[in-house]
Amino acid sequence: MRMGMGSCRALLVGRGVAATASASIQKTQFFNSSSNSFGLCFSKSVLITCRNNNGVRSCSTASIRSSLEPPDVPRLADTARISLTQNEVEEFAPKIRQVIDWFGQLQDVDLHSIEPAIRADTEGSNLRDDVPETFENREAMIAAVPSFEEQYIKVPKVLNKE
Amino acid sequence: MLSTLQSPRSLSRFSSRYTLCTLTAQSPPSTSPPPPPPHSQILSIRHSLLSRRLSAAQLAESYLTRLRLTEPHLKCFLHVSEDAVLEQAHRLDQMIASSEEIGPLAGVLVAVKDNICTADMPSTGGSRVLEGYLPPFDATAVRRIKDLGGIVVGKTNLDEFGMGSTTEASAFQVTANPWDISRVPGGSSGGSAAAVSARQCVVSLGSDTGGSVRQPASFCGVVGLKPTYGRVSRYGLMAYASSLDVIGCFGSSVADTGILLHAISGHDRLDATSSNREVPDFASRFDSIDLLESKPLKGLRVGLIRETLDDGVDNGVVSVIRGAASHLEELGCSVTEISLPSFSLGLPAYYILASSESSSNLSRYDGVRYGDQVVAAELNSLYGDSRAKGFGPEVKRRILTGTYALSAGYYDAYYKRAQQVRTMIRKSFKAALDENDILISPAAPSAAYKIGEKKDDPLAMYAGDIMTVNVNLAGLPALVLPCGFVEGGAAGLPVGLQMIGAGFDEENLLKVGHIFEQTLENCRFVPPLIEHDDTPW
Repeated sequence: MRMGMGSCRALLVGRGVAATASASIQKTQFFNSSSNSFGLCFSKSVLITCRNNNGVRSCSTASIRSSLEPPDVPRLADTARISLTQNEVEEFAPKIRQVIDWFGQLQDVDLHSIEPAIRADTEGSNLRDDVPETFENREAMIAAVPSFEEQYIKVPKVLNKE
Repeated sequence: MLSTLQSPRSLSRFSSRYTLCTLTAQSPPSTSPPPPPPHSQILSIRHSLLSRRLSAAQLAESYLTRLRLTEPHLKCFLHVSEDAVLEQAHRLDQMIASSEEIGPLAGVLVAVKDNICTADMPSTGGSRVLEGYLPPFDATAVRRIKDLGGIVVGKTNLDEFGMGSTTEASAFQVTANPWDISRVPGGSSGGSAAAVSARQCVVSLGSDTGGSVRQPASFCGVVGLKPTYGRVSRYGLMAYASSLDVIGCFGSSVADTGILLHAISGHDRLDATSSNREVPDFASRFDSIDLLESKPLKGLRVGLIRETLDDGVDNGVVSVIRGAASHLEELGCSVTEISLPSFSLGLPAYYILASSESSSNLSRYDGVRYGDQVVAAELNSLYGDSRAKGFGPEVKRRILTGTYALSAGYYDAYYKRAQQVRTMIRKSFKAALDENDILISPAAPSAAYKIGEKKDDPLAMYAGDIMTVNVNLAGLPALVLPCGFVEGGAAGLPVGLQMIGAGFDEENLLKVGHIFEQTLENCRFVPPLIEHDDTPW
């Protein structure tokens, strides 16, 4: 299956922002390029030259991506209540870091005075009346609970964290 | 004016590397052309049933036979309910025999993506965390299909919770593309697309959060429709990213896709984001091509999105799309290249929003209310270990990424900025759709890739969504229909054309798509796997 070389790079970098390499920039490659996959280069400080596109300002100064703490995967796993093995932490950390660094390109876009959109379509309030109803299939809901002991859902003890 | 196109088998005769369905003046065919595809399987089925030419049981058996033959190669389904299908078919035959009225989907076999709840079949979301889970209700879309006589044949494979573009992230199996079983069908609704492509069922339901109906439609050579956000109730769709998710439809023709869309659309009091807007009768817009004038789309303004034909898009795909643009011009459209500023910012914005929302939506899978429960000494370990055991790596990574983006202090840097980019993208689509009736682009930068090719490279995988995510950010409707082939596999690999419309303008998209499809004469999108199938369906 043919795919243009360097193609993914072009797709992933924002149009208003063109990252150019210069001799003085350090590159950290998280992935090795194979013939079809994509190698993304990042560095702590990147000299960025931009095109001027509608609403996207041109910038020429260095932008430091490390102004935000890099992801602390074990801590995130704790917050998200997912027990990761040490192997998983080691395997996931670079991939997550790579994706978050890629997110960072939005830092360089001029979004001044643009309202955030909660969702695409704001057709107005569409709520039904706040009137309680009985769900007609309680038995099936209860049958799905792994450890139901009439009339409780059984869970292990809840310990306070120190 | 009808266009003549090369059949997929004639690929080898052409010296150019990429084959298009081209437009030539009508010339006498040297061999007898294949019979024209019926413009709607659903309507043909209805006709056959009411005229007693076929029974519902015979029809169901015919599809099930083909399903049994092809499933070992394709693995589209996680669950098939053969007995229930035949029972419903027999009951329908009894109704017909006693001249009872039958619904518009009577006898039509429908497959349902496994992240859409069905009360009588397991619904796993493609995840071990819900293995064996039987929902206590049907999704509204499923209930509506059943109310209209549709027969749910089974649940199709998907990337876990919709997170992926190939079905390789399913916890259970990888689905193969019917056009070349060493390739992916696309995703996340890969099972639903492949099932329709292989004619294992008539139509199917999928879901589209960032392209998960449209990209597999393109890869599998079927029609896929993503409705406007709010057009179809999301009640019963396992939430991935609530501000982006929609339920969508697959069919082997635009007409069938439209009929299914009509069946499932409309306000639902159980979904606060579902629209009160009236649903036009999509099914009535499919005129026979004999009734069309020579320039049936005269006056239609079409915008071809320049950024979707840039570097990074397969040359073969670009050729096919430009060919499709020419076809539209032949039909009377005026096609101009347009630019959507900030187009490529949509991809990181999408992944920020989707991973953030998913980290919240998937917190309900805690080993307490449903699914697998591990043995644990205390509650947090119960959560942690149940989730660790139940979720696959891609889901875990996206939850962690989303957790990071929503962490205290980071909302402004990521989530809020992504919301602002969403506003920019909405505005740029609106401006483009003020000047044009529809916008067109490819649905993916390439045709189907080999199984395993993108699996270990998340960003390379994400890059493939560039054509589709912006439409979800803007909440607009889009139709993908097969329009040509590139090299690969035994008979070429299909390429789909994406048509994007203004909010709630599915009717227009379907009308244009139907005319486009019906005038692509002699270009059949039937995969070689089932080409020699003699059954009438």
